[in-house]
Amino acid sequence: MVWDDEGFSLKKLLFSKINRKLTFLFAIVGLVAPALALFFFYNISVSILSDSLPAEQSVMLETTAAIIITLLLAIDAGVIGFFVSRSISKPIKELYMVTKEVQKGNFNVRTNIKTGDEIEELSVAFNNTTTALAKLDTERKEIDNAKSEFLSITSHELRSPMTPMKAQLQMLEGGYFGKLTKKQKDSLKIVVRNADRLDKIIVDFLEVSRIEAARLKFAFKETNIKDLVEETVEFMNGFAKEKNVTLDLKIDKLPIIELDPDRTSQVLRNLINNAIKFSKNKSKIEIRAKHVDDHILFSVRDYGCGMNSEDQIRIFEPFYQVEDHSVRKHGGTGLGLTICRGIVESQKGKIWVESKPESGSTFYFIVPLKPVEEIEPIKVLFSPRNKIERKLKEEFKSILGPLGMGEFNELKGKNALWKEDLFKYVTSLTRQHILNEEQGKFFKNRIGIVFGNEKDVINDKNVTPTSIFEVVK
Amino acid sequence: MKTILVVDDEEDIRESVKLILESRGYNVEMAENGDDCLKKILSAKPDLILLDIMMPGLPVDEVVKQITDINIAFMSVVRISEARKRGLCTQDNIVDFIQKPFDVGDLIGRVELILGE
Ligand SMILES: Nc1ncnc2c1ncn2[C@@H]1O[C@H](COP(=O)(O)OP(=O)(O)OP(=O)(O)O)[C@@H](O)[C@H]1O
Ligand SMILES: [Mg+2]
Repeated sequence: MVWDDEGFSLKKLLFSKINRKLTFLFAIVGLVAPALALFFFYNISVSILSDSLPAEQSVMLETTAAIIITLLLAIDAGVIGFFVSRSISKPIKELYMVTKEVQKGNFNVRTNIKTGDEIEELSVAFNNTTTALAKLDTERKEIDNAKSEFLSITSHELRSPMTPMKAQLQMLEGGYFGKLTKKQKDSLKIVVRNADRLDKIIVDFLEVSRIEAARLKFAFKETNIKDLVEETVEFMNGFAKEKNVTLDLKIDKLPIIELDPDRTSQVLRNLINNAIKFSKNKSKIEIRAKHVDDHILFSVRDYGCGMNSEDQIRIFEPFYQVEDHSVRKHGGTGLGLTICRGIVESQKGKIWVESKPESGSTFYFIVPLKPVEEIEPIKVLFSPRNKIERKLKEEFKSILGPLGMGEFNELKGKNALWKEDLFKYVTSLTRQHILNEEQGKFFKNRIGIVFGNEKDVINDKNVTPTSIFEVVK
Repeated sequence: MKTILVVDDEEDIRESVKLILESRGYNVEMAENGDDCLKKILSAKPDLILLDIMMPGLPVDEVVKQITDINIAFMSVVRISEARKRGLCTQDNIVDFIQKPFDVGDLIGRVELILGE
């Protein structure tokens, strides 16, 4: 391939255009024709009219000839320019469109440029690259599936030895094989506790593998939410009492909607469990559910230790536990909230937290009134979410200046760091004339890039390709 | 004395369940796969079969099709929703689903309930 050894040269490209098709055209139309025209026009006029013409008129005749030549040259230049630019810009436009498709993750597009020059070679090279990308993409998906599969198989395999182990331990503990000394009992207690812990980790792993493979089972059915929350709270009351914590439940009348009661209860149990865990003795936990727009908003509020804004993002990551919450004291795997997020987001809901160190936390989640038709696979392990938030933070800082950080934190607090939310936010900024139209578009573009997808912006006809190029660079 | 047939491919599970149920005065027979289960039914004439749903050999749906007059309780690490999805819990004589790892007290409670004691 030409590019490999010589590299790309614009000069060469332009020369190649002129050499092949246009030199000929240029020579004929641009030089020969006007020269001939001039020659004939001048000769004829001079030979016919030479005697009768006064001197000044013959000068005029010369001038006319000159003007005609100039005109011809101008038209000629226009024609050549048109063809040159068309023959270059058309395939480049095609390449551009296809590049955009590739950027969106569609690796099955190919260019079909038959210009017989370097642009065609470029297009062939481009097509080869997309083929390679498509192959890599397929491989990536296969590896991803294999990972989920592996996780699922291993967790099942890990779980089967737990059955006889737990059974034997319980029998020992229950005195089936004779009375135990205190030391034996204490020792056994430790083994039992850790077997339970191990089993919980395995169960959580299974759950995560299901979430990632979109194999989380949802059984949507008409549910009275009030009853559901009441039952869940009743169930958690046992744990709350151990710590003298009151569970305060207030729910207005709610519509009966289709949701998965077990999954919803699972999320609530996790949140209430955390709330109890991170509350002081004798404090209160408030559980609410209300109907807002097209969803139900659940909230669990505690007056416990709370957390700073950095941790508020990170607690939804797998295995993340806030350091000074002394894991040892509380136990747990750090998968609870990850699973909650998976369950909630798989059905197109949202989950977020508002919190202040020392004054407590409120966890919110919303569930749409209408159940989703298809469960989404959610990347909860190795999720790119945190990277995205970090990048967004930088964009806010660089575009909005010192104002940016506050705005970013506020949006994050509302769990509005999603693309649609951010686009709405930018639109509101331009409406309030905090940003002008240009800046607004630029901001949206940057947001689009952070989310690795510019579809919405590209389709916005007001944005010219050049402005995108500027942004992309 | 009532007889319970425990079918599981894992010896440790069979032994554990046997120990637990024998402590409650049941007669316990064991089988390690579907074919074995069908054979043992003839000789042991159990009142209840505790059947693992994931075993090598004869698929469990084939096994249960051939058992019509004895109560069966499934035992499994998978959830009941998954088992239902595989169309496993349709027969009338399938009376319970015991989630593994089970709680000893819970297992005894369920078995006694089924056997009406
Ligand atoms: N209500 C809360 N108040 C303060 N910190 C919280 C609260 N809920 C969660 N956290 C913090 O978030 C971390 C992650 O919570 P998560 O539920 O995912 O894991 P965990 O409770 O530690 O373990 P697991 O739920 O797997 O048993 C916790 O370790 C804790 O540091
Ligand atoms: Mg938790």
